Amino acid sequence: DKDLELSNPNQLSPETFFSNEAQVQSAVNAAYANLQTVALYGRLIWYMMDNMSHEQSGNGQQEADKVTFADFSFDSSNGQIAEYWDSCYRGINKANFVIGNKDIIDAIPESAMSATKKAKFIAEAKFLRAQYYWLLVNRFGNIPLRNGDFSQPEGKPISPKADIIALIIEDLTEASANLLAKSEEELGRANKGAAQAFLGKVLLYEKQYGPALDSFEKMSGYDLESDYFNNFKEETEHGIESVWEIQYNLSLGTGSKWGGPVVGAGQNHATFRGQDYGVLNWFNVYPSDDLVAEFEPGDNRFQGSFYVVGDTYNKGRNTFVESDFAENGGNIRPVAWKKYQNYYKQVDEVQESGINAKVIRYADVLLMMAECENEVGSQATAVGLINRVRTRAELAGLPATLSKTEVFNAIVHERKVELNGEQVRFDDMIRWGIVAQELSGTNFQAGKHELWPIPDREIATNPNVTDADQNPGY
Amino acid sequence: QTKTIKGTVSDAKGLPLPGVSLVVVGTSNGASTDFDGNYSLQNVNVGAQITVSYIGMLTQTITVGSENTVNITLEESVESLETIVVVGYGAQSRATVTGAVSTVKSEDIAALPVTNAESALQGRAPGLTVVNTGVPGSNPLVLIRGLGTFGNNTPLFVIDGVIVGNLSGISPNDIENVSVLKDASTTAIYGARGSNGVVLVTTKSGKIGKGQLSFNSYAGFQTNTERYDTMNTIQYLQHAANLGVFPNRPLSTYRINTNYQDEIFRTGIMQNYDVNYSAGTEKSTQFFSGGYMKQDGIIINTGFERYSFRANSSFNIGKLKVGESMSIAFGKQNPELQGGGRTLITHAIKAAPYLPVYNPNNEGGFQGPSSSADGQDAENPVRIQTHATSVNKTLGIIGNIYAELELMKGLNFKSQVGLDYFTFDSNTFTPSFNDDSVEGSTTHAQNFASYNRNHSQGQTIIFTNSLTYNTTIAEIHNIEILALAEKNDRKSNNFGGGARNLITNELVQFGPTNQSIGSSSNETKRLGYLGRLNYNYDNKYILSASIRRDASSRFGANNRWGTFPSASLGWNVSKEKFLESTNISNLKVRASYGITGNDNIGDYLYNATLTGGFEYPIGEGNGPGVTANGGSNPDLKWEETTMLNIGLDLGINNQQFTASLEYYRNQSDDLLLSLPAPLSNGINAGNITANVGSVETNGFELALGFNDNEGDFTWSANLNLGTSTNNVLSLGTLESFEGAAMKDGKGNISRTVVGESLFHFYGLVSDGIYQNQAEVDAVFTANPGQTTVQPGDVRYLDLNNDGDITSEDRTILADPYPDFTYGLNLSANYKNFDLNCYITGIQGIDIYNTNKYDLEAGANRLFNGSPILLDSWTPSNPSTTQPRVPGAPQNHNVSDRYVEDGSFTRLKNISIGYTFTDGIFDNYFSKLRLYASGQNLITITDYTGLDPEIGQGNQEFGIDRGNYPQPKSVILGLQVSF
Repeated sequence: DKDLELSNPNQLSPETFFSNEAQVQSAVNAAYANLQTVALYGRLIWYMMDNMSHEQSGNGQQEADKVTFADFSFDSSNGQIAEYWDSCYRGINKANFVIGNKDIIDAIPESAMSATKKAKFIAEAKFLRAQYYWLLVNRFGNIPLRNGDFSQPEGKPISPKADIIALIIEDLTEASANLLAKSEEELGRANKGAAQAFLGKVLLYEKQYGPALDSFEKMSGYDLESDYFNNFKEETEHGIESVWEIQYNLSLGTGSKWGGPVVGAGQNHATFRGQDYGVLNWFNVYPSDDLVAEFEPGDNRFQGSFYVVGDTYNKGRNTFVESDFAENGGNIRPVAWKKYQNYYKQVDEVQESGINAKVIRYADVLLMMAECENEVGSQATAVGLINRVRTRAELAGLPATLSKTEVFNAIVHERKVELNGEQVRFDDMIRWGIVAQELSGTNFQAGKHELWPIPDREIATNPNVTDADQNPGY
Repeated sequence: QTKTIKGTVSDAKGLPLPGVSLVVVGTSNGASTDFDGNYSLQNVNVGAQITVSYIGMLTQTITVGSENTVNITLEESVESLETIVVVGYGAQSRATVTGAVSTVKSEDIAALPVTNAESALQGRAPGLTVVNTGVPGSNPLVLIRGLGTFGNNTPLFVIDGVIVGNLSGISPNDIENVSVLKDASTTAIYGARGSNGVVLVTTKSGKIGKGQLSFNSYAGFQTNTERYDTMNTIQYLQHAANLGVFPNRPLSTYRINTNYQDEIFRTGIMQNYDVNYSAGTEKSTQFFSGGYMKQDGIIINTGFERYSFRANSSFNIGKLKVGESMSIAFGKQNPELQGGGRTLITHAIKAAPYLPVYNPNNEGGFQGPSSSADGQDAENPVRIQTHATSVNKTLGIIGNIYAELELMKGLNFKSQVGLDYFTFDSNTFTPSFNDDSVEGSTTHAQNFASYNRNHSQGQTIIFTNSLTYNTTIAEIHNIEILALAEKNDRKSNNFGGGARNLITNELVQFGPTNQSIGSSSNETKRLGYLGRLNYNYDNKYILSASIRRDASSRFGANNRWGTFPSASLGWNVSKEKFLESTNISNLKVRASYGITGNDNIGDYLYNATLTGGFEYPIGEGNGPGVTANGGSNPDLKWEETTMLNIGLDLGINNQQFTASLEYYRNQSDDLLLSLPAPLSNGINAGNITANVGSVETNGFELALGFNDNEGDFTWSANLNLGTSTNNVLSLGTLESFEGAAMKDGKGNISRTVVGESLFHFYGLVSDGIYQNQAEVDAVFTANPGQTTVQPGDVRYLDLNNDGDITSEDRTILADPYPDFTYGLNLSANYKNFDLNCYITGIQGIDIYNTNKYDLEAGANRLFNGSPILLDSWTPSNPSTTQPRVPGAPQNHNVSDRYVEDGSFTRLKNISIGYTFTDGIFDNYFSKLRLYASGQNLITITDYTGLDPEIGQGNQEFGIDRGNYPQPKSVILGLQVSF
């Protein structure tokens, strides 16, 4: 019988894994891979969030499945929602593969791997797990919770959102303590500042303004880019303003960019945003009239976000003409997306864009801090923080005498403009309780569309999740 | 008074028969003929009766008279009851067989000019399905009693006791006979590997007698005359204009009219030479053979070539018998190549007809399309197939060595080591090319030479030890007991690589850039113990029972061992007194029941593994990632098939008419299915393989034989017919799963669901063409004002009545399983002439014809297709069959529009021969036969594709994707014996 016990010579065996630093590192690397997938920042997150927030409108030819997010017609059979769910949970499972093997990792001799490194890598896995759970909990509410267990066939039942949030806070607290500072860490990895900002953001969403502020205030070494547009160019990635970004790098290969929207294996180091959004390319979407109208005259973030006729591109070699802005049917759009487009340096979007996705940048942190200060500190401090952002935009500062409500309204405006097309507005509107009012005139239904439906495929495959667990209205 | 009688035993043609057994009835006194057919029998009483028996001959009984010399002529039996049937780990007389076994003779296998022995089995045995692939040297699909599992349905192939993957490694001319084992009583002795049935091949061995040298040869040609009707240049340009596409080439180009089908099909030459020598004495037998065959495929640059050698021998040393069989075969195949995932035939249908095949101004010398100039991208199939050089080389060594010792009378110990060794080497070299030198065109170009090579090697070693005991108690209780232990180790490894060379096309080696390499290895170990008892009471009441215990390394410790029992009963009614005086020469009823297994899944599936290949940019470089794969299942076990078989054999007028009827019912349980894991588990594998499904398969098989003679004219007819239906009983927690994908992202063609047959076609049901807006609006009531579907588009039935046409309106369109398959063999001899006519067919099968989609669907992209596209619906030409061009995307969905009846009757082989037995050749040859034969000359079918004989296994069953058609061939042959 011993003779018949064969192990696969072509695959690593779990029994012998986690015996050195390289192995621990590779398991952590794998947990990052799902962020890149088509279901998340590779493609779909842009469409889903920018369409739902109505920061953009769709050209006539926009694919029907993308339109479902603009007109809130998605249901539990929506394939992209299932892929979003799937890719997040795959990321969680990869993180759990590291976290669940903590005992084995800790048993690696100190000579082979230092305790600091062990704690740092486990903290990275926890940061990533928090990131994926954050993506899930904001979209789905109550969801299955898997903490450290991996690869087991039994499905988990739904846990309350509060339990998920508690785990996210726990993970990010540990990550804040054990991750390395941005200056000490390889670019692309989660670092201490990212964890502090992320933890602050979660606490802000939980309305724990004091602790949130504490976490934000621990951040050091961050400031605003002098040029707003530097945040959205490939050459100026990981600048002073960058807190947490998802990496794309065309030179590492893009052969697998379509290969499975959820798996994350292979060379998929490209996003499709450039071609999807690009005015000279598919031009599927363009900034909505409502968003464009929000800009104050003289706000230099307008030029940093949008193209208009007469703007030059391709390093100044080409100039946009009116016909470039024609949507299906011939109507000429006033503006097109510039943010995250490659036109600034090239004549064409070639399906692949290597520009990183900025998940958190310091301007966002300043505005979140302002929000906290407005709640628990002083309005004057809050206005000071807002004015740092406005000054970079070449706008006049707000007076320090604003009331709490006025400061709040200023933050709502400032975030809409500063962070346009950066997948934060929809969640902002929900947590501020203004989503129904802001999205009036769309198909948004309060009490339903704040959340997505739990995918049918989860209900079909998980015996512990039933139709009774479905979110309201679906 | 006793005396000695002597004489010669010979066959009807006067040839002496060595080894004939003569026994004085009621005594143990007997003798056998020597080398020259002479016998001498002592102590015989006048008036005593002597039975004279010999394999393949009708047994005679003579009464001893006054003569001392008695010459005996034995008549050949067409379907002798005494025929020995080879079964697993032994042989039985046909009379005592209680299972479902069909046999195919060497003449039938050698009759067809095929590269694989499997192809020659087509239509020869009821219940055996063989689907040829057309490409010379490729293995056909073989099924016994239809499909019984979602996974691998390939039967077990056994050559001289060595389990092999297929029969490609041996020359069909070396085959003595083939037994097809179909029921539990015959396959359960193969335990965990018997579920899909067993094809047992016995190779030729030396015959006792004077050494005989034989030479066989044939040569001929094969061709294909079928073509799809495609548009010529003028028609094509009209179609392009209808689509709003205007090719942008110099006007002179449009005078060209290329038919790419004519360019890729050709007439291929085939030739075969085979020489063998057979000799034997009572002490030893020898058989040697050597063969060479070469077939050019009917598609350019395809073909197969094989050299084969064999040596089989055996020696008797007292109570010890030793022997071996060993064969070596070298194969070389030029396969059909593909471009962009499309077959050559698909490209030939789709390519723009105004483009010339060759253009010396382009690198590589070929012309192809540019998306910019031609608005389409179907590749030049001649360039695909001829510009690259692709060769698959195989080496196979199959053989065994055995020793058998008689420990005591009736008790034998046998030890055998079997070997199946193979290497497979595949090389593809593609020099740089540019199919269109129009500036900026990169549609089909490669600015480097690429070279890909894959090499795999593997061996299986089977070590079998067995004890058999044969005895007869009180002359009526015949007992045979077998105890056997078998160990089977299989190892294989593979390495491959590819690289590019930007500098030169001259080196057929790995170039300096974009190099990639990979390797893998696999091992499977199996252990089995078998016990079998065969008992019969006076050859009248027959009982057989077996039990096998098997272990396989493919399963975890929890389920490593399995037990596979079987039992069968038979009653030779014709041996009963009440039938003695009738003309019923044989009547037997039999039944068998048992359990078999299937371990035909991948290695190591129960093992938890890690998986790599994840990447994330870290710093400026790549951070490679590894994670748990998940999805392993330590509880995996065999698939189990419970088989019931009931059979009836009938013979009338001394076997002039024979009939055999079988009914079977197989239920496969614990079928391995890949089930989706809960999505929120997030495991990388996505699926977990588990033993959950059940499938029932049942059917009837009928074999009829008749032979007669009228003076010098003898003739026979044999018909076999089989049915097989399958029904899915369970898919575990799954409701259904989708199968083979349609092209162009149009969903899946096949689906499997509980309560229906496996892999049936599933799609929309069409109902003509919308002729006006009112008809459209009448269907799309839930979606008024939709503009996608318009008059001229295909009307589908709204089966769920929701006022919209969605994937919910799909239904079962057809299944790809025949009502029955059949084979009819007619042969006749008149003096020295022989005529053989062999017909096979399939009735009631449905085919999903993706070529019809390419030809007639009128996809919105420009491609060539059928001229019928020019008759598409327009307001002024209100077609009721051809939708508008361009039309709604839904026009191209999987639907009944592409399902066709694939029934066919095919004249598989017709041959006429003449044998010179005497006259001028006497001094040179003992036998010389000349023959001519034709294959596939006539096919009667309504199917519109090139060939109704199509399809791969399982999910691809019955789907025509532009498959390489069966050629028609004509050969002239020569058979000489010295």
